[in-house]
Amino acid sequence: MILAMAKVRILGPRDRLPDVLRSLQGLGVLHLTPPTPAAPVIHAELSPQQERERRHLLSAIEDVDGALAELSPFLPAPARPGPPPSVTTSDFARWARLASRVRRATDRLKARATQIEEERALILKYQGFFSAFRPLLENEARWKNATIYHVLLKHGELDAIPRLRSSLASVIGDAFEFYSRELPGGETALLVVVSAVAAGRVERLLAEARVQEIPVPEAYGGRSLAEAIPRMLARLGDLPQEADGIRRERQELARLHGAELRRAETAIAHRLQALNALPLSGVTPHAFVLEGWVPADARRRLTERLHTDVGESVVVTEMSREEWQSEDAPVVLRNPRLLRPFEAVIALLPLPRYGTIDPTPFVAVFFPVFFGLILGDIGYGLVLAAMGLIIHRRSKPGTVLRSVSEIIGPCALFSIIAGFLFGEFFGDLGHRWFGLKPLAFDRGEAMVPFLLLAVAIGAVHIVVGLILGVVSAARDHPRQAVGRGAAAVAVVLIVLVLLAAVDVLPKAFFTPAAIGLLIAFPVLIFAEGIVAPIEFLSTLGNILSYARIMALGIASVMLAVVANRMVGMLGSAVVGVMFALLFHLVNFAIGMFSPTIHALRLHYVEFFGKFYSPGGVRYEPFGAWTRNAGVTRS
Amino acid sequence: MEGQTVVLALAAAAAIAIPALATAWAQSRIGPAIAASMAEKPELSTTAILMIAIPETMVILGFVIAVLILFRGGGAA
Repeated sequence: MILAMAKVRILGPRDRLPDVLRSLQGLGVLHLTPPTPAAPVIHAELSPQQERERRHLLSAIEDVDGALAELSPFLPAPARPGPPPSVTTSDFARWARLASRVRRATDRLKARATQIEEERALILKYQGFFSAFRPLLENEARWKNATIYHVLLKHGELDAIPRLRSSLASVIGDAFEFYSRELPGGETALLVVVSAVAAGRVERLLAEARVQEIPVPEAYGGRSLAEAIPRMLARLGDLPQEADGIRRERQELARLHGAELRRAETAIAHRLQALNALPLSGVTPHAFVLEGWVPADARRRLTERLHTDVGESVVVTEMSREEWQSEDAPVVLRNPRLLRPFEAVIALLPLPRYGTIDPTPFVAVFFPVFFGLILGDIGYGLVLAAMGLIIHRRSKPGTVLRSVSEIIGPCALFSIIAGFLFGEFFGDLGHRWFGLKPLAFDRGEAMVPFLLLAVAIGAVHIVVGLILGVVSAARDHPRQAVGRGAAAVAVVLIVLVLLAAVDVLPKAFFTPAAIGLLIAFPVLIFAEGIVAPIEFLSTLGNILSYARIMALGIASVMLAVVANRMVGMLGSAVVGVMFALLFHLVNFAIGMFSPTIHALRLHYVEFFGKFYSPGGVRYEPFGAWTRNAGVTRS
Repeated sequence: MEGQTVVLALAAAAAIAIPALATAWAQSRIGPAIAASMAEKPELSTTAILMIAIPETMVILGFVIAVLILFRGGGAA
């Protein structure tokens, strides 16, 4: 559900504003908004000194974040943020100096590490080249008065060789030697030896041919590659030690300053939050006004805290419902513990607007059902449950991974239940091994009943969506609510007519349901206009879209059956079992991905389309800084 | 009777093949476009999933029609 919010106005003497802001930040429940414009009230502004402090703190926190990002591999996981330390101006100045110093050091180490990595890559490239032409290069003294060119062709540039050879022949005749070798990485190394007098022309030719020439690097001395390579190899041996030295220096920086930088980060970000909050206050020469949102159940706590911290001179009033628009209210989703993981599914979309419906409870029921009906296998369900347990054990509370593991749980449970209904254990293995029989029907055989089940579930889901649409639109858009209600009734009546027509329901249902339909359609057109029939057809299309549950489910069971048949088909039992396991693995991977995507789609497109109103404002209370919340920099 | 079975099989094949080609064509146009959008705005990942999954409805409904042709027509019964 969406938590009820109250909009409050806080009034008091202007000189108590800093105390009030401090108290509000300590409590951390008020989502501040700019005060309603009124004649004598102007927006408070930061004093020049505060503006300067803010600028310095922003620069300092950039250094702190930069340094911590580089040192984080050597730091323990950040602890849950506690109350910010009490600090003085000199602490901020000290932290700014420390952060700047550590940032410079980490930047220097980072640049050095990059340089080492690049040097290593370069040497390895030369090493490959040298290995390819070793016998030739070791005897390059035999080429007197010659210039040697080393060229590297990328993978797929082999056609450049004949072109280069014929260009050389046309420019300098046959006064050159040309060698090519393929390198292990797929590149091709070329060694071109030409007479020194023709060097200028050849260099121009190589430049025009746009091939990558590798000159002998001056840093390693020597005029030939044969002389430079031993020095390069010696250097290659030194590089790991240098990289290790850099790692040790980083580790030492983290040990010496990591904890202090974390304290600095918390305190600076906390102070920045306070400075950013000040311009959200309205002031007159003698008074201040603050406005914001609190969860309705926290309003009394807010008043008591302000009276305790600041005294009775501060007045907190709740603004009446006429003074605010529901779309301005921030949104907090609050659901029972079991349903809460499914808020992650809603989090992928923009938040619902305040005053509309939180779809989390419905997603928590229907998502695992759809997933289970598609996967529908006891074996796969058990593997999925084991996977969910492992992820749960390895994830931290409050993380996306933890939510995923908690969503996997019900999905696995429904897969197992559906597996019993369809009599599937790794496809038909359950039936072949221990005579497992379907409690409902065999998906592989009874395709039409499965299709009817999928469409029936779709009809229920869409009707629930339309009813939620009625509830959602009832207050602000009554005509739209009537339209959605008529559409829901029409869907139910069509189902009744069809069931009566095929003798599932008594024939007596047919005529009243058909008459009901004839009444519902004009109501629909009256409520939603001339586009209503098209909208209604699209609603029926939405219901048919649930046929994907059946289609994907059958694909899943067929792949599992094919995997089991592999054992007998490939001659060798061992090879057959290997292939079967591989096929089951692929099917399981598809079986996790595909139901998720399609269950999400059925919710986002078909279900939410009937009632969901996105555009809610995120609730961001002014309070203690947390790593996830970040700090507003602008 | 055999001729009828062949016609039913061909109809079922067409019912799934044509939407499959249409889906493939639609996804081939959507895929690069959404990948380019995501490179600039990673927050579009949810939209990307939906955009890619939307044309699949065609092939799924094609599959359902193919099943109905085979079963109701008696081709596979």
